[in-house]
Amino acid sequence: MASILKVENLNSYIGQYTILQGVDIEVKKGEAIAILGRNGAGKSTLLKTIMGLVNTRSGSILLGEDSLVGIPTYDIANKGIGYVPEDYGVFDYLTIAENLKLAIRNDTKDGDDRIAKVYDIFPDLRKASERMARTLSGGQRQMLSISRALVNDNKIILIDEPSKGLAPVVIETLAVALKEISKESTILLVEQNFSLACAIASRYYIINEGRTVVNGKIEDLIQDTQLQATHLGI
Amino acid sequence: MKSLREHIQRDFSKNVIIALSVLLIALLIFPKFSSYTMLNLLTRIFVISVFAMSYDILRGYMGFINLGHAVYFGGGAYVAGILYNKLGTTIPVFILSIAVVVLYSVICALVMGKLSFKKGTSVFAAAMLTLALAEVVRNIAESWRDVTNGTDGLIFKVPSILSNRIFFYYFSLIFLIVMFIILRKFILSPTGRVIIAIRENEQRAEFLGFRIENYKLIAILVSGVSAGLAGLVFGTFNRFANTELLSITYSTNALLYTLIGGTGTLYGGIVGSIVVNVFQNMLLNLRSIHPIFERWLIFLGILYIAVILFMPKGIVGTLRHFIENRKVKSDNEKSSKTEKAPGE
Repeated sequence: MASILKVENLNSYIGQYTILQGVDIEVKKGEAIAILGRNGAGKSTLLKTIMGLVNTRSGSILLGEDSLVGIPTYDIANKGIGYVPEDYGVFDYLTIAENLKLAIRNDTKDGDDRIAKVYDIFPDLRKASERMARTLSGGQRQMLSISRALVNDNKIILIDEPSKGLAPVVIETLAVALKEISKESTILLVEQNFSLACAIASRYYIINEGRTVVNGKIEDLIQDTQLQATHLGI
Repeated sequence: MKSLREHIQRDFSKNVIIALSVLLIALLIFPKFSSYTMLNLLTRIFVISVFAMSYDILRGYMGFINLGHAVYFGGGAYVAGILYNKLGTTIPVFILSIAVVVLYSVICALVMGKLSFKKGTSVFAAAMLTLALAEVVRNIAESWRDVTNGTDGLIFKVPSILSNRIFFYYFSLIFLIVMFIILRKFILSPTGRVIIAIRENEQRAEFLGFRIENYKLIAILVSGVSAGLAGLVFGTFNRFANTELLSITYSTNALLYTLIGGTGTLYGGIVGSIVVNVFQNMLLNLRSIHPIFERWLIFLGILYIAVILFMPKGIVGTLRHFIENRKVKSDNEKSSKTEKAPGE
């Protein structure tokens, strides 16, 4: 199957600190890939580097045939990448409906149908569609953030720690929704919550100290308690 | 995006629409019963409100502090005066001055925007740049005595119909209403929503695919042209333009009107303009009662400090916050009642 996103020997830095120092990942069309690792391993930085929010020192990032290195963030987004940051990234002073409409890119022709579809996935958002985002709960904000990535026909969606700071009951709802979304979209998911990552992803990469150290099928990782203990501290 | 009608319905309850209609009727019949002093005060408020709203596009909606905003306002007044003096006091000259003010404002906005919105420029550095640019224009106006009459200021005549105070009152009222509708329509447009998104977080707007520099330029163009037109009307009203209109005093005045009224609301600019101008007028009248009111600026300063300390969102912002909180509270109460209902 054709690869949607291919990252090879990626090195990136923030200020004088090198964060990623040799990351290799490949995501194929329709896959849901989990990026796992301990706190500070460089998982979120990987997504930010792909989005052009963190500077690349060396290595390559290919979206299909297009290189993403050195191009501005807005161009990267317009090439077909949806990004769900860990702080949700919603606009507090816009309503839910406005947040969603704002996210529709010019090349998306069926934006309204897509909004109706995300309202079906997250009915809570439909009910509160005219409410300002600042009045929403953490779970609703996360739903809105994910929904924004779904209103375009993105080639891949990068999701950064969707369960962070959410109550277990909300995480369960989110897991069901993300599983549903993964049936139709290609997802690169950074997640600390191991069970949530296992529920959604089919393959995984483990990052340790800025390097990809292990990868494989998620079923194998579930069985391998030794590997979990070594790299994830479970 | 929603139609203007839908937004008006969302923002204005029936009671507010009735109140605004009554206010409009009162303003329409006001000249019948008013003195020229009051008429002039209201005319000034209408025009200054447009200036304040234009500032709110940048400060309130985009989060940009422009310390050189007076360059548009003062420039508008000067353009009117120079053209009346050179070409005569006719309505076609007035129409020509509108076109020239738009052109002047666009050029100033492009220069200011291109320099201030460069990636990596901090908010503080950008504000200083706008101040420096405005000072350059003010210095040119001061030195170019042949055209601007330097620091003495430019006195000019205006077309006879525009020197009629009652006509000008209605003209300014229509100007305010039209500019309010245009700016509101702009803010409610998809471009306006992106500008609000930029204010909240530039990076977030960027990873949605928006080239933020372009949107910022659009905002400063709209804001600059609006301020330029306000300056043109202000100059025509006063039949006078001086370099103070180009100074930081007028830029900070615009900032204060929006802070007092409430930033990011548009109505806030109008409310701020009313409060400041009425308060200032009252203080000036009190000078004959007690000499302390000769220092009326101190009282105005106290008003600014009090509003910023006790109403940091401004008058309209505080009111809106209160109404929204009440609405969310009642929504939550309703939904909790609905959830309880099946078990009851």
